[in-house]
Amino acid sequence: MLKIILGAILLLGSLFAKETLTIYTYDSFAASWGPAPLIKKAFEKKYNCNLKFVATDSAIGAFRKVQLEGKNTKADIVLGLDTNTAELARKSGLFAKHHADTSKLDLPIKWNDDTFVPFDYSYFAFVYDSNKLKNPPSSFDELANMPKNFKIIIEDPRSSTPGLGLLLWIKATYKDKAYEYWKKLAPHILTITKGWSEAYNLFLKGEADMVLSYTTSPAYHIIEEKKYNYKTANFKAGHYAGIEIAGMLKSSKHKKLAGEFLDFMLTQQFANIIPTTNWSYPVIKLKKGLPKGFDSIYVPSKMILMDGKTVEKNRKIYINEWLRALAK
Amino acid sequence: MLKQYSRFRGSLIPGLLVSVFLLILAFAIFFTLFDATGANKSTFLTLSPRVIGLLKFTIFQATLSTILSIIIGIILAWSLAHQSRFFARSLLIALFSSSLVLPTIIVVFGLITILGRNGWLNHLSLYLFNHTFEGFLYGLSGILIAHVYLNASYAARALLHSFEAIPKQRYKLAKSLGFSVFKRFILIEWPAIKQSVLSIASVVFLLTFTSFAIVLILGGNPSYNTLEVAIYEAVKLDFDISLALELAFLQLGISVILVFFSSNLKTNISNVKMQSLFIPWAEPLFVRFLQITIIFVSCVFFILPLIAIVFDGINADFIRILKSTIFIKSFSTSVIIASISSIITVVFTLFLSNARRNFALKSRISQSKVGKIIEFMISFSGSLYLAIPSLVLGLGFFLLSQKFIAPHLFWASFALLSANVLMSLPFSISVIYPSMLKTATRYDKLCFSLNISGFKRWIYCEWPFLKESIGYAIALSFCLSLGDLGIISLFGNQDFSTLPWYLYGLMGSYQNNDAAGVALILLGLTLSVFIFVPKIFAKENFVKG
Repeated sequence: MLKIILGAILLLGSLFAKETLTIYTYDSFAASWGPAPLIKKAFEKKYNCNLKFVATDSAIGAFRKVQLEGKNTKADIVLGLDTNTAELARKSGLFAKHHADTSKLDLPIKWNDDTFVPFDYSYFAFVYDSNKLKNPPSSFDELANMPKNFKIIIEDPRSSTPGLGLLLWIKATYKDKAYEYWKKLAPHILTITKGWSEAYNLFLKGEADMVLSYTTSPAYHIIEEKKYNYKTANFKAGHYAGIEIAGMLKSSKHKKLAGEFLDFMLTQQFANIIPTTNWSYPVIKLKKGLPKGFDSIYVPSKMILMDGKTVEKNRKIYINEWLRALAK
Repeated sequence: MLKQYSRFRGSLIPGLLVSVFLLILAFAIFFTLFDATGANKSTFLTLSPRVIGLLKFTIFQATLSTILSIIIGIILAWSLAHQSRFFARSLLIALFSSSLVLPTIIVVFGLITILGRNGWLNHLSLYLFNHTFEGFLYGLSGILIAHVYLNASYAARALLHSFEAIPKQRYKLAKSLGFSVFKRFILIEWPAIKQSVLSIASVVFLLTFTSFAIVLILGGNPSYNTLEVAIYEAVKLDFDISLALELAFLQLGISVILVFFSSNLKTNISNVKMQSLFIPWAEPLFVRFLQITIIFVSCVFFILPLIAIVFDGINADFIRILKSTIFIKSFSTSVIIASISSIITVVFTLFLSNARRNFALKSRISQSKVGKIIEFMISFSGSLYLAIPSLVLGLGFFLLSQKFIAPHLFWASFALLSANVLMSLPFSISVIYPSMLKTATRYDKLCFSLNISGFKRWIYCEWPFLKESIGYAIALSFCLSLGDLGIISLFGNQDFSTLPWYLYGLMGSYQNNDAAGVALILLGLTLSVFIFVPKIFAKENFVKG
């Protein structure tokens, strides 16, 4: 009898208790000023559940955390890796296939990944202050030939997404001459930081003429600060893209809800939140168009993107080449 | 022999327990990590040319940083010791100790505001001489400047103590013998500070040897990385825990040699300040001028970056910051964690020092091999953690938390508390141990003959002389715990965040104005703790009269 009552209570409890979906992501996505709070509100309302974001220092940190936690992980989804680190994550065998309908994606490339779903993208670019710099370089060659005291700040490819992006961008541009190019660029590199935040803050302090960031960075200054002097140096040969992705874990106990979240990433509701919180482009066309301010920033005419498998196979080699080129 | 040991069991047992606990914790962390690396243990210590290169550079920059920091520290402490009365002297000294304990990233940005390419110095020089120094703050010079900035002020603060402890009579003697300032330094001052110099030098060496944030932001080149960076690379990028462990062991090995060397140094008890020194006669005019110049220049060098932090942060929207719930949450978490860890640190320090001094005094336990080993174990367990990379420590705690399931809040607090205590112990011991040794030499005979022991001895003999050191040690470990950014990155989430973690989050999403404001709040908090906590302790008396 007791068992039946207990069972009934449990059953009732589970009927009323909301399911909780846990997403591991990088810190600025989960921050109170990031996209997470708005997404949480919208998703919880739509699916009558709890959505929990757990922040780590980086997307790769979020993935490593899942790896460390193994079977016990509370994570259902890892959000924030990009196409350059997708293979690394896929190799772990921790991710399940998705069922999202990727046909409505509006990306400059065709998407046929059956594990990861993209949720936003941007292009890497050098940001400068147009009040100080009148003639920004328009190609890597011009950059390397700038006057001697022209300095840039870049991020370390071993610890930062834009840093790795630049490494691949230069590799894709110069192929087996990349080593020579890095040697030529070296005198212009003021410093190499661990992450984007140190680099960008140094730049805002006026320490360097340009900083490696995203083409969408100026949109922040335009929309939030009404400052129009921050611009990107537009390279005619194209810009390397950073496409951010999310994937569902095989170990998830809430696969249905996790799948629904991946679907939700491709809805207008989600896409509308992205531009002014994560300062990047949504992956589907917005019905009401991009926010004002995004129309005055540069959109590269050509997207450069290395195949994920090639990146994973050669990442170590590329990084070692980079280390050798810059060694003193 | 056993009789001697049992006579001092009251002081031996707690200290030994703490020491054993620390060693077991270290062992548990490394064991868990070894366990996690699984099968591929075969690659043990295959040093790639790159690792050897990094090792060489790490030792090179750490040696250079240490020598520079110590020289500047001695010169500054010497000047301050002889200029014992001037406006805001105690505030100045408090400011000197605060740079070491602020989150490195804040201090580095302060330095950049002053010395950077777009810094005040370059603007001034451009205005006056139409010349800029360009980016001298980046590269090896930048690493050295930042390390000297952080460590020379700490060295000066600690050495000032030794200078002030030199008995006045010796100065009188020097005066009557007509010693020159140089001769006085060589014959009187140097012998008195020598031992402190060596032990401070070994701490500074360890700090600069394991430097991470500074070499990355100011180094400007991957050749100017440290082993700590290679460890980060192995953990984060390659997820090669066994390689990370090898590197950590390499780093640990070098540090152990150093710790062994420094803990073997006899603590010179005549160095302990008992009363404030005031030399009633003035220094020769030229020397006075030199000392005042040194103090002035150091003020400019050490204080301007702090002023820059104020300057950068003052325009922030403080109402918005103070209203935000995450700020309040991170602030209270930080303060609570820092308070608890500073108290645990000081209690551990007292236990360890109380046990260790038994072996340092011949009147207590006579010299023997066993005694030497125990003494080494105690001092080693206290300073061991300076050498363990915080990333490895954090990873170890994280894996432990996976093995023994408990609520997240428990593990997060446990990891953070332990890491903070372990990190501040060496500093706290270096402040308290010499004082405890001194009180023992002074009062042992009296206490033993009057049979004053335990709590009574503590109240009448120890506390009055230790309270100032205890206050300083609490302030020091409080601020060190406040500034920590290493462990939190694995355990933090939106329910559990600390102030530096929050600050870093702000910096990472264009919110640099708010970040500057939070940095200013952190600076204010650190400074007020440094100025007021030792004062409160100095006044506190158990016994009235």
